[in-house]
Amino acid sequence: MGLTGNSIPCMHYSRMTKAGFQIHIPRSMGVTEFTYSNVEKEMEVYGYDTVVKSHCRMCHGGCGVRVYLKDGRIEKIAGDPDCPINHGTLCSKGIGATQLVYHPDRLTHPVRRIGPKGSGKWERISWDEALDTIAERVLHYKEVYGAESIVPGYGTGRENEAVIYRFANLLGTPNVLTAGHFCYGPRIATTIITCGTNPIVDYENHPRCIMVWGNNVTISNPDCYKGEPFSQALDAGARLIAVDPRMTRIAARADIWLPLRPGTDTALALGMLHVIIHEDLYDTDFVENHVYGWEPFVERVRAYPPDRVEQITWVPKEKIQAAARLFATTKPAAIQWGVAIEQQVNCADNNRALLALMGITGNIDARGGQVLFKPPRIVNVGRFGAHDMLPSEQAAKRLGGDRFRLAGNFAIINPKCVWDAILFETPYPVKMLFFISSNPLMTRGNAKEVYQALNAVDFMAVSDFFITPTAELADIVLPTATWLEMDYIGDFWKRHGYILPRRKVVQIGECRSDHEMLNDLAHRVGQGDFWWETFEEALDFILRPMGITWNDFNQMEYIRGDVSYKKYRQNGFSTPTGKFELYSTLLENWGFDPLPQYREAPESPVSTPELYEEYPYILITGRRIPGFFHTENRQLPWLRELHRDPIVEIHPETAAKEGIHEGDWVILESPRGSVRQRARFFEGMDPRIISAEHGWWFPENKDPGHGWDASNINILTSNAYEHCDPAMGATHVRTLLCRIRPEADTQGIQET
Amino acid sequence: MKPYELIIDHESCWGCRTCEVACKQENRDPDGVRLIKVLEEGPRIIDGKPYFTFRVSTCRHCDEPACVDVCPEEAITKRDDGMVVLDAAACVGCGLCVEECPYEAIELDPKRGVARKCNLCFHRVYKGLFPACADNVCPGHCIYFGDPDQIKREIAEKHTRRPRNPLS
Repeated sequence: MGLTGNSIPCMHYSRMTKAGFQIHIPRSMGVTEFTYSNVEKEMEVYGYDTVVKSHCRMCHGGCGVRVYLKDGRIEKIAGDPDCPINHGTLCSKGIGATQLVYHPDRLTHPVRRIGPKGSGKWERISWDEALDTIAERVLHYKEVYGAESIVPGYGTGRENEAVIYRFANLLGTPNVLTAGHFCYGPRIATTIITCGTNPIVDYENHPRCIMVWGNNVTISNPDCYKGEPFSQALDAGARLIAVDPRMTRIAARADIWLPLRPGTDTALALGMLHVIIHEDLYDTDFVENHVYGWEPFVERVRAYPPDRVEQITWVPKEKIQAAARLFATTKPAAIQWGVAIEQQVNCADNNRALLALMGITGNIDARGGQVLFKPPRIVNVGRFGAHDMLPSEQAAKRLGGDRFRLAGNFAIINPKCVWDAILFETPYPVKMLFFISSNPLMTRGNAKEVYQALNAVDFMAVSDFFITPTAELADIVLPTATWLEMDYIGDFWKRHGYILPRRKVVQIGECRSDHEMLNDLAHRVGQGDFWWETFEEALDFILRPMGITWNDFNQMEYIRGDVSYKKYRQNGFSTPTGKFELYSTLLENWGFDPLPQYREAPESPVSTPELYEEYPYILITGRRIPGFFHTENRQLPWLRELHRDPIVEIHPETAAKEGIHEGDWVILESPRGSVRQRARFFEGMDPRIISAEHGWWFPENKDPGHGWDASNINILTSNAYEHCDPAMGATHVRTLLCRIRPEADTQGIQET
Repeated sequence: MKPYELIIDHESCWGCRTCEVACKQENRDPDGVRLIKVLEEGPRIIDGKPYFTFRVSTCRHCDEPACVDVCPEEAITKRDDGMVVLDAAACVGCGLCVEECPYEAIELDPKRGVARKCNLCFHRVYKGLFPACADNVCPGHCIYFGDPDQIKREIAEKHTRRPRNPLS
């Protein structure tokens, strides 16, 4: 039911069967056939009284769901076969959402801290008291220190991003602290400056070759993607190339697996580009007519011949050549990418080198390649975010804006800039933090410094489901609604061209969506003219260009923007030159190298050989785990059962050398600190590499710290400015040096 | 010949473990008791090629089920349609079936003091619904339920479209 443009699909339940797969049951069963996702029968057999279609948000979101209820309580969550994103399937997180909604530890009313920070002493307050207190602080700091002293923030967001930006821009603060410096923000920034928007893999039309680059899409669900359409494209016969230091299942299924030295992605991509250019495998029409900066680009690529790239990356040149040839000669082809390559010093150039691969092979905006999808005609996130309402003199004060200018031009800041402004009042003081769906104590580089800053800040409010380690340091914590407790326009901010209705299913305690909360708070700080009586009117506002209201949209399955290919042939690209900018005129204007270059990781056997003697392993972090979403879901029994402990993967040869046995708790150390995780033997990577998990805290630990520093890998990572991407300010948290030893050898650390 | 079977296409399994949670949602077994579980094989290099695969482990509904023979309470029965069904109400939790099962597919629920195994969602199948794990939940589309011959043909056809590792 792929309706596009303004047409309005009505809601119905289809009977989906897989490839003519209908099953006949012997008559003795009294049943004649099965159909997938059989709503009527589910209702009848289990006595559910209601089923509501909605749109999941347990990760970056996207999957259509059916929520079954009995007596007003959610009993079952299942995938929606009518949804074009997931085609009826779901993941463990989506199914587990019931346990999030009804979790006994959920915060269901606002609270105010009544003891010292981290004391875990809270008292219940009313919404009015909570929001009035926050509003009073906002107005006070704005008057005394300027609006820039107030920093709202979000992590991966609950689709509240544009709402938070609207609040910040109307307040006049240029400082919104998000994960955007090293997650998805770089994809948006680098794709916009290169080709106008983020090219999305056209899985629906089955790419014939997929290169998965530092991504585990089938369990990680990167922005704009789901594992299911990737699986379908693969089952339809796509060739597969995997770029990953670890042997994932994707790598094991691949035609070619390139196990690169961690952090050398840009060099590998430039090496592949060298092969493609040297062997004339590029799309000459695209290069001659649609790219900007071909000659200097070729000159730059010349510096990365396969011999040199083999030395840098540890990948044999024959494999680099074979992968480059397969990718360039199989049409259409696409690159499945994600966050791993962005959380590095080469963040922007990693992305730009991969964009070059998509571009010169003619796969940009090609059917079955990587498409510049058009969103439906709604008020987009940029306009809703009111970026044009931020006075230019306030925008000029954006923290780090003069240093990380690519980030600054996309309203993104680097976290250390905020910590420094709190701790040292440079370049000016930050007095208030307001984290709405963010747990930076666990997720930002150099966690000890994050702790110092959160401990020192004058006033902090948090909106979340639970009192997380970050929230324990707040003054006020607001109880927020899950995706099952709000109406919203799902995937409003995505680049795949769909919007889908998210429908409120239940109300839990006094929980309110971040959107409604900010709409209310905005009135209390004098922004009322730019907001609405209720947030439902904001949804009408977003949809108005289509001539519909939320009530109309609520009756639909989804809306998709018009789909067309190779639009650049008529319109060019939405860049300063109108071309696909291999050579970025904007980066050049901002004082950066306009061409992608490879930088050695700040800590590595090559860049810091002396440190490598002391810390003799390459630590990679942030491997994805089914069931968890960064710091979330460790308190949900169905999901924690899948993975109980923080696990560090170690090659058995290395383990033998270090006296480590499978299952041992081990100590991981970097120059910044040490944490404990449990060893698991893993032969699928070079023995010089150690792979640790991120996001670990222990909700079952009722001490107010909840074990935030016990296994938190960001105790080990660096957030030094010189370790960040020079243009994007991405913190380099994915590749560093470490040592490892059995915990039993350690004095003063308790065995559990 | 069984009229229907649960068949896993392990080549297409990504180890996402959605099936485990779908089973939990349906059967509500306590923490630690899993009627279906995803195990790992590898990773390692075999003959110079990367090998890493997942194995979905659940009751095989054996033709000659050892658990049926060993149960002193006759709580496990093999039905005419091939499904091996454990009746928790008749189970005393002696654990003999747990020891006897060659596939480690039976677990003791210590809370209720009974053995638990995959009954192929008999309670759903009987009413015309797919087993919970096989109701199109799997993002890899690797769980099939139905006529085994037809499923095997379908899986084989799928994998001829994409020969395994021709270049590596």
